[in-house]
Amino acid sequence: MKIVIIGASAAGISAAKTIKTSEPDTEVVIISKEDSVHSRCMLHKFLGHERDAKGISFIADNFFESSGITWLNNTTVIGLDAQKKTVKTHDNQDISYDKLLIATGASYFIPPIPGLRESKNVYGFRDLKDAQLLDNECNTAQNAVVIGAGLVGMDAAVAMLERGLKVTVIEMTQAVMSLQLDQKSAQAYQQLFEEHGAEFILNDKVVSVDVDEVGRGKTIHLASGKAVPADVIVIAAGVRPAFNFTEGSGIDTNHAILVGDDLKTNIDDIYAAGDVTGIAGIWPNAMKQGRIAAINMLGEKLLYEDRYALKNTVNFYGLTTLSLGNINPEPEENCEILMREDRYNYQKVVLKKGVVQGVIIQGNIGGTGFWQYLIKNKIDVSGINKDVFSLSYADFYDQDQNTGEYRYAV
Amino acid sequence: MKRIIIDREKCDGCLNCNIACISAHEEGSNFYTVNMQSPEAETRNFIKFDAQKGYLPIFCRHCDEPECVLSCMSGALEKDPLTGHVQYDESKCAACYMCVMNCPYGVLKPDKQTRTKVIKCDFCEDKPDGPSCVKACPKKAIEVKEVSL
Ligand SMILES: Cc1cc2nc3c(=O)[nH]c(=O)nc-3n(C[C@H](O)[C@H](O)[C@H](O)COP(=O)(O)OP(=O)(O)OC[C@H]3O[C@@H](n4cnc5c(N)ncnc54)[C@H](O)[C@@H]3O)c2cc1C
Ligand code: SF4
Ligand code: SF4
Repeated sequence: MKIVIIGASAAGISAAKTIKTSEPDTEVVIISKEDSVHSRCMLHKFLGHERDAKGISFIADNFFESSGITWLNNTTVIGLDAQKKTVKTHDNQDISYDKLLIATGASYFIPPIPGLRESKNVYGFRDLKDAQLLDNECNTAQNAVVIGAGLVGMDAAVAMLERGLKVTVIEMTQAVMSLQLDQKSAQAYQQLFEEHGAEFILNDKVVSVDVDEVGRGKTIHLASGKAVPADVIVIAAGVRPAFNFTEGSGIDTNHAILVGDDLKTNIDDIYAAGDVTGIAGIWPNAMKQGRIAAINMLGEKLLYEDRYALKNTVNFYGLTTLSLGNINPEPEENCEILMREDRYNYQKVVLKKGVVQGVIIQGNIGGTGFWQYLIKNKIDVSGINKDVFSLSYADFYDQDQNTGEYRYAV
Repeated sequence: MKRIIIDREKCDGCLNCNIACISAHEEGSNFYTVNMQSPEAETRNFIKFDAQKGYLPIFCRHCDEPECVLSCMSGALEKDPLTGHVQYDESKCAACYMCVMNCPYGVLKPDKQTRTKVIKCDFCEDKPDGPSCVKACPKKAIEVKEVSL
């Protein structure tokens, strides 16, 4: 059997590994438009000159050779023929498959703001290529502007601060990382970034960019009337699943590629995994989906049930935060909000009828892995006779007698 | 593979396993000389106490399907195909702490000193007679046993 995987990142590589471990005789071809395999989550380490390109790889040097996988890098897929079971590449190859995995992730977009798209010094922060181009700019630029204070924007900001640039972050909402944090935990990061020289303009919007005679965006105008000078601009205003090449193939999509719990699309033999499915935009889930899709492509039936996506960890300047679930409930949701604070820690638990809806743990996040289980599985903790902040896995302790593995007693 | 099998009924909460773990990761120290006050003194195993259930030893299971490995974005955490143990390579780690969030048993933690690495059981792979905690347990509440993968 020949399995073709489009995408050589979290989902694609984890699928390939799984296939080669379970059924080594399967022919595996990975196609990717990039020339290297790297972890996007470490791009800021590259841009900040903490690591080189090799240092942000997440696979062994000889991964493809040693696992017997064919890798077509620098190759962009531009079409898909589900009848003939082939994919077309930019250099006009038709590559046939028995089973296909689409693991093409997501790509950023530049909002249609006058002057912004036209500016030559506007970059996304998604691929190593983006980081390399930005790296070049950082050698000469003084003023950097980051549009969007989500996790990606903050990653870009931290790296450019590291490089000694003056960094201004512009954000539409009233706080940084507003998807992951509440006001208080966000404030702690904002302060840390400010101490390192960043400036934040919150509750404001870019309305236009002045482009100079050589096509570079120079001044960013905001809705408030403020004008911010820029030598380099990073756009971090969100990403979209990347699947242009499926047009006309008959694959069902909305804003993402639609898959069932087996991660198969509406077309037999075509599966999708990772950011391209729109289920979750984080690395662990992309890896897991890749793995499950691979197992299913090999003929088994394993379901991906982890559609729960609201989870993240944040670590900037040594301040760590775990954020899970619904952390900013609306008043009409009638949630109970418990908070605890000391000099080094801020903790918040959102409860509804005894079931944990969300948590923020800022400071010491050691041993907090059990919270995700409680939230995902909607475990009622009201029967446990203790303070919710002192819960741990010990309250659900159970073991499999044969294997010695832990289980949850709930 | 070999796993530390826990008989929680036998545990009486003496915490010798904690001290042994800290000592095993402090170069050149032993049970009596280990610097428990050092900022680097971190244990990889935990004993929790519950009024009803008694002592509950929490040790990395080197899981068959390790969630921590499945969440690692740098390749720092890998399950060794030969030993079955989940090993951590500090030089690769990016300190994103996705693994801390994903270990369902709350075994992993950031180092308290710098928050640049993860504190994780290494099964004392470099020690000829196996996990130091097991050797230090006076009650045989933890023992290394062969389990099938
Ligand atoms: C700056 C940044 C920081 C992040 N930090 C974190 C973090 O700390 N923790 C976390 O959990 N997540 C983080 N994420 C999110 C995480 O990186 C993604 O969830 C993950 O990369 C998704 O993996 P994927 O395999 O689905 O797709 P992607 O990583 O997007 O990879 C897509 C692959 O498909 C290839 N491709 C795309 N289109 C084509 C085509 N037409 N033809 C051929 N090949 C194609 C690409 O070359 C690439 O190999 C971060 C993301 C960014 C951008
Ligand atoms: S750290 Fe947690 S998930 Fe990873 S192997 Fe150990 S017990 Fe399993
Ligand atoms: S903190 Fe290190 S070991 Fe843990 S998931 Fe992140 S990169 Fe991997």
